[in-house]
Amino acid sequence: MVSLARRNLLHDRLRFLITLAGVAFAVTLVLVQVGLFMGLLDKATVTIQHASADIWVTSKETPNVDFAHNFPETTVLRVRGVPGVARADNLIIQFMNIQLPSGAEEGCLVYALEDFGAWNLPWNVQGADVRDLRRGRYLLMDRSAERRFGPFAVGDYREILGRRFKIIGTTAGAASFTTAPIVFMDYGNAQELSDVIRNRTSYVLVKVAAGADPQAVAAAIRRVAPYNDVYTRDEWARRSRSYWIVSTGLGMNMGVTVFLGILVGIVVVAQTLYTSAVEHVKEFGTVKAIGGSNWDIYRILGEQALIAAVVGFAVGGLMSWAIRPLMARLYLNVLVSPSFALAVFAGTVLMCLGAAMLSFRRVAGIDPALVFRT
Amino acid sequence: MKRVLAVHDVVKVFEEGSQRVEVLRGVSLDVRAGEVVALEGPSGSGKTTLLSIMGCILTPSSGRVEVDGEVMGGDPDRLRRVRRRSIGFVFQQYNLFPALTALENVEYALSVKGVRRGAREQASRVLEQVGLGDRLHFLPRDLSGGQKQRVAIARALAGSPPAILADEPTANLDTTAGRQVLRLFRDLARQEGKGLLIVTHDPGVREVADRVVGIRDGRLVDGAESAEMAGRAGRGRREAVVS
Repeated sequence: MVSLARRNLLHDRLRFLITLAGVAFAVTLVLVQVGLFMGLLDKATVTIQHASADIWVTSKETPNVDFAHNFPETTVLRVRGVPGVARADNLIIQFMNIQLPSGAEEGCLVYALEDFGAWNLPWNVQGADVRDLRRGRYLLMDRSAERRFGPFAVGDYREILGRRFKIIGTTAGAASFTTAPIVFMDYGNAQELSDVIRNRTSYVLVKVAAGADPQAVAAAIRRVAPYNDVYTRDEWARRSRSYWIVSTGLGMNMGVTVFLGILVGIVVVAQTLYTSAVEHVKEFGTVKAIGGSNWDIYRILGEQALIAAVVGFAVGGLMSWAIRPLMARLYLNVLVSPSFALAVFAGTVLMCLGAAMLSFRRVAGIDPALVFRT
Repeated sequence: MKRVLAVHDVVKVFEEGSQRVEVLRGVSLDVRAGEVVALEGPSGSGKTTLLSIMGCILTPSSGRVEVDGEVMGGDPDRLRRVRRRSIGFVFQQYNLFPALTALENVEYALSVKGVRRGAREQASRVLEQVGLGDRLHFLPRDLSGGQKQRVAIARALAGSPPAILADEPTANLDTTAGRQVLRLFRDLARQEGKGLLIVTHDPGVREVADRVVGIRDGRLVDGAESAEMAGRAGRGRREAVVS
């Protein structure tokens, strides 16, 4: 079956390329921008997702996992007594200054636990066993710290708040939304560093007993710890993400970028399809004269819009994919989930079909009698 | 012979604001199967409007239109169905789809007319019938004017409509190509039993026409007046060819 839509598109190659460029640009912009945003948001919750805690007990109104406020560490004892709690431990997350070999000081985010192994923190450890952290002033530093702190190696020493720590291993993938590199150390060592956290903790991590309902256990913990907030893992991750999306205006910024990307796509596709429709007006008149309906012409324009959407999405998707390694070198993760890619594809199709509507209006009024005019 | 196209006492008035232009004033005309009717007239005489009404593209202000024995109303969907089924059009500017080959032009017309199965074979057959069997895969830009018009005729034949309406089909062709096209029209009427209405200024059409009808100021005129008009038009054409 011959397709007038396809043949016309390929006949006007330059116009088709311009249409594709418009769609591909919009798709790339949306995929990369939102992908980067999702990658950043992933950093905001990466430790929550990896930690094997079902419930997080926080101080009141803690906005996100990085900006922890401290509360008495004895809270953990009350939590441990709640039915349905299998295990509960204190976790310190605290910004501290680290001295670099150059003499400069930088901020880092210290994660401190008594038994890291029990909470699947950290993950991707190289060069050491997490249990070794308890044996002295040792720390694990995430590889991403090289960007801020410069090169380092296992066996090097760094000073944190004036105390020397030996780097006994590295981690990979542990990151903070704030970009402060994460270091892992023993709970006791961390508390010695600052009066602010002496006898205090940032969080209580809770594992629920097999078969227990995390929501019900969380409700029970709320009753014994009324001056704390208690979240299930998903609630806490959502709250941490929401902080960055809403409070910082990043969500709005992203929305504007996506809107502009879509707007550019619509304008380019609408403009090229409309110009094409105007130029082919006599052909469409002929279609009507030989018995075609408006729907026959809508189908032509719709098929052209669909082709532009599918090919433009493929080109934009490939471009976004190609950009990922470049971004990774800058420690930026372009996170595009299959469901998000599918949503962008559906959006692209809608965008192109929407843009074609402008041409629909133009061709609907074509008088087939125009075929008799020279 | 069966009447394939007929109009009875057709009036067409165009109104634009306060302007009211009566383009056709009570025209009655029929075209029978196997017959070639030439419609001649000066510019603005109403011949294209009459062609559009007989082709179910326009509806008359009053009067009756019959296509293949069926009386037409004003329902656009019905008019469109009739155009698909019963009428083939040939235009002065060919109006081929430039991105499609000769074969695809005809095949696409068949698809618009609702023919899906065997459309390619049927398209190929009609193109061979008009003598373009060796040009099936040529784009319009690679065909001469006469060949383009023959593709247009093949497209008009697609779906085997009983009537074909042609608007100045030889106006853009040289004498030889024009004569070939007219011969083709005559053969279609004689051999296929098509009823043809040809709007023309070309006196050559008289050689193949069974009837010549003149139109002036929206009214059909008698044969002598029509012959006079044709003579004027023919002189004009000859002058154009010489220059």
